[in-house]
Amino acid sequence: MFVEVAAPKQSAAPGAGGGDRPSPLRRIAAALPPYLYLVPAVVFLVTWTYRPFAQTVELSFYKWNLLPTSPLEPVGLDNYRQVLALPELHEALVNTGWYVLGLLPFSVVIPVAIALLAQNVRGRSATLYRALIFVPTLVTPVATAAVWRWLLEPDGGPVTRALDVFGIGPVNVFREPGPALVAMIGICGWQMIGFAVVVVTAGLSGINRDYADAASLDGATRAQITRRITLPLLSPSLVFLALMTILLSAQWTFPLIDTLTQGGPGGATTNIYYLLWQFGFRSFDAGYAAAAGTLFFVGFAVVAMFFVWLADRLSFHDD
Amino acid sequence: MTTTAYFVEVAPPPRVGPDPGSTPARPRTATVAAKARLRRVPKDLADLPVGSRSRTRTALGHVVLGALSVVCVFPVYWMYIVAFREPGTALGQSLLPWPVSLENVRHVWDAIPMGRMLANTFLVALLSAVGQTLIALLAAYAFAAWRFFGQRVLFLLFVGTWLVPFQVTMIPNYVTLSKLGLLNTLSGIVVPTLCSAMAVLMLRQHLAAFPKELLDASRMDGRTSWGTLWRVVVPNMRPALASLFILLFISAWNEYFWPAMVLQRSDSVVQVGIRGFMGAEGNNWGALMAASGLACLPILLLYVVLQRHVIDAFVRSGLK
Repeated sequence: MFVEVAAPKQSAAPGAGGGDRPSPLRRIAAALPPYLYLVPAVVFLVTWTYRPFAQTVELSFYKWNLLPTSPLEPVGLDNYRQVLALPELHEALVNTGWYVLGLLPFSVVIPVAIALLAQNVRGRSATLYRALIFVPTLVTPVATAAVWRWLLEPDGGPVTRALDVFGIGPVNVFREPGPALVAMIGICGWQMIGFAVVVVTAGLSGINRDYADAASLDGATRAQITRRITLPLLSPSLVFLALMTILLSAQWTFPLIDTLTQGGPGGATTNIYYLLWQFGFRSFDAGYAAAAGTLFFVGFAVVAMFFVWLADRLSFHDD
Repeated sequence: MTTTAYFVEVAPPPRVGPDPGSTPARPRTATVAAKARLRRVPKDLADLPVGSRSRTRTALGHVVLGALSVVCVFPVYWMYIVAFREPGTALGQSLLPWPVSLENVRHVWDAIPMGRMLANTFLVALLSAVGQTLIALLAAYAFAAWRFFGQRVLFLLFVGTWLVPFQVTMIPNYVTLSKLGLLNTLSGIVVPTLCSAMAVLMLRQHLAAFPKELLDASRMDGRTSWGTLWRVVVPNMRPALASLFILLFISAWNEYFWPAMVLQRSDSVVQVGIRGFMGAEGNNWGALMAASGLACLPILLLYVVLQRHVIDAFVRSGLK
């Protein structure tokens, strides 16, 4: 009764006859709302993500220098063949791997250790620590780059002077391949470690302490509790942090690379996104950029699928 | 009538979404009780007296967190110290900026259009955050309030954006922006980022926890879905929307890639402007730190005011 009265008010479609069954027009009108609410979001997604993605795949089969006046020249699979043979690509891929490996300690290993060690710190002091260690996450990447360039300055920068005390001579960090990569990883790690600690701590506080207490009554040692109870229950947060590091570390290091080293010295700090950027906007080779981009997309999709699968297998839920 | 009465009863804002920041009260008391029980356990079961062990562990926790705090805050602190020293004394070692001097800030203000850049960045961040929140709210509402054909596919469309990084689509997007005449404009930074898949996923999750009875009751009261959204859903979702807005604003402020691409040669927002300043001023560290400090200042002030909310917003975006 009530519902039938409400219905006409809702869709006052003109011309809808008062028949026993709703007319097709009216049934369509009734099914329409969710799609209408989705229109703006989907339009933007298609315009700025999926259509350009399709165009990138298409561009990867052409040679083009980004000038509107110059023609696109079809070259088949040549871009892929040439890009795969470029030593720059291999260097960028290897570096991206180093970045991920180097950042995992900052985003997973150290935060877990810190969060476990600091479990007993509670109350106001815990809030204060949390507030302080979160600061680097909020600092603009360009400012981060500027500050660290100053801290690592070989001619009197504070870190250089501190290292001098330990007998480590002044190193022009961003001019030497090895130290440059280490510094980039360290700087990016500095930006994310606080966030990771806060995430892990939040995950820990969501675990019911009763499990650990029960296990300890049964005679389990602290290490056993950590390994068998805490870490498995924490695994959703850990998988999330690891996945984020793998998928986004190239994204996070991009502004640092662009402002600090431009990929140098000699390509030592470049990563795959920066290489794409250089292909596109430094050497104006749209075909190379597109071919490399398509390859990276496939690679990342495989890695992400593997992690989604792993997350499903590994996640234990506290029901 | 009955539905209205029902509605009023349910109306007090429900706790929407999980709150990872705080542990519920009950387990904590249970823990205390368990600990008290543990203390009565004979000594051979516990290898050490519980009290002393946990006190050393607490001290260790303070040491670890204190060290981490110093590592995290020192560079930011040092940035402001150097910025407020007299020019030419950047290499000084004192931990306090004494005598305080605003000379560096003044130099930055004269050398680059810092005020305009900050205003522009603020405008870009504000418009992005408003647009992203609105568009995400509409999309999330569609996913949460209806079951419809193609729902799963459309949802995967949003999840899938994680796999398509900006750098893969940048050349076609650059061409589109230039065709629309948006290169080197502020709209060119805002428009392409207006649909944030992360925001949609986050809000959908909050809305999934929204009591369906409220939506049904509102419909039975004769509200259109649009009216339900603004009069029932939004008022009850204010905390979630506010925290999402903060997150989006900060991310938009700190965004580097789009401004760098769209504004190849101009310096109308902070991120790109400071990059140029870094190149031009080389080793004038005082000025460089002043410029960087100014670029972070609005976000850090926001953080001082809304500390807990900012952290919660970031952590929630992570914990799915």
